[in-house]
Amino acid sequence: MTDEKRPPRRVFGPDTTAEDLKSYMGPFAQRLGYKFNTETDFVDEVLASELEILERDGDVYCPCRIRSGDPKEDLKIVCPCIPFFSDQFAAINKCWCGLFIREDIEDGADLIGVVEEVEPGTIIEVPVMPLADIAPGSIRHVKLGKRDLAIARVGDEVFALSNVCRHAFGPLADGFMDGYEVMCPWHGWRYDVRTGTTDHPNADVSTFPVTIRDGMVYVAVPLGRAKP
Amino acid sequence: MTTHLYALSTCPYCRMTRKFLDEHDVAYELTEVDLLEGDDKTAAVDEVVRLSGGKSFPVLVVGDEVVVGFNKSRMNQILGL
Repeated sequence: MTDEKRPPRRVFGPDTTAEDLKSYMGPFAQRLGYKFNTETDFVDEVLASELEILERDGDVYCPCRIRSGDPKEDLKIVCPCIPFFSDQFAAINKCWCGLFIREDIEDGADLIGVVEEVEPGTIIEVPVMPLADIAPGSIRHVKLGKRDLAIARVGDEVFALSNVCRHAFGPLADGFMDGYEVMCPWHGWRYDVRTGTTDHPNADVSTFPVTIRDGMVYVAVPLGRAKP
Repeated sequence: MTTHLYALSTCPYCRMTRKFLDEHDVAYELTEVDLLEGDDKTAAVDEVVRLSGGKSFPVLVVGDEVVVGFNKSRMNQILGL
């Protein structure tokens, strides 16, 4: 389909209010392990800016960053942009603006303003989903920075492994769970979700440590290179 | 020493930075990048990327030093406040 034939993307209407933004963004951010900054005046200021941007540019783009003009790239800075920068934000405990802070941060006042740099390669615990969002015996895909991971739950245990099968690059998170093994949906290669090992030679996949705290699943990954 | 602030007109941190600079009587050149158009805008964005490595605002340039975001302690330090 050419761009000319593609239907226009739906965005918020001209009568959108800050309360409208709060009511849709809040529950979404919560599923990602974030909440609005505890500094309510600051939250109101950022949302007021986003409403200005909505009126001018047609969507709630991040007030701290500039659009590139490439629609695909610019989608990554529509608020809340947490899924596109989840490892970066987990490292600094907030989104770039500080509109959202990690759920486990009690006071967001100190997180306003400073854009701290964290050394690439630093191990970061990234909130990925509430435990309740993944049923025992199931597997789900998450993207952390540029990494594609499969999150598998067996009973009350949760595991994280690379999503990419080493055989033909099938998406393991679309596969089938069988005890502690996932079968790739494309050709049935089996991986142990605890270790990433498979019976096929030189085809193991990476695994990542998982922690569960206060009902949220965290995965520890090395921080990718920042591109704010 | 030249002080230059690259900002967005809609950005809360940019407003906070401008207020901070004004309150400390710091003279600076201001470029509101989102209000530029065409080649001027492209050139300003390229300059911000060159200076800061990204497209986050504000970007404050004081001589050879670059501060990204509203960072009071760094601004105090490099402006000698």
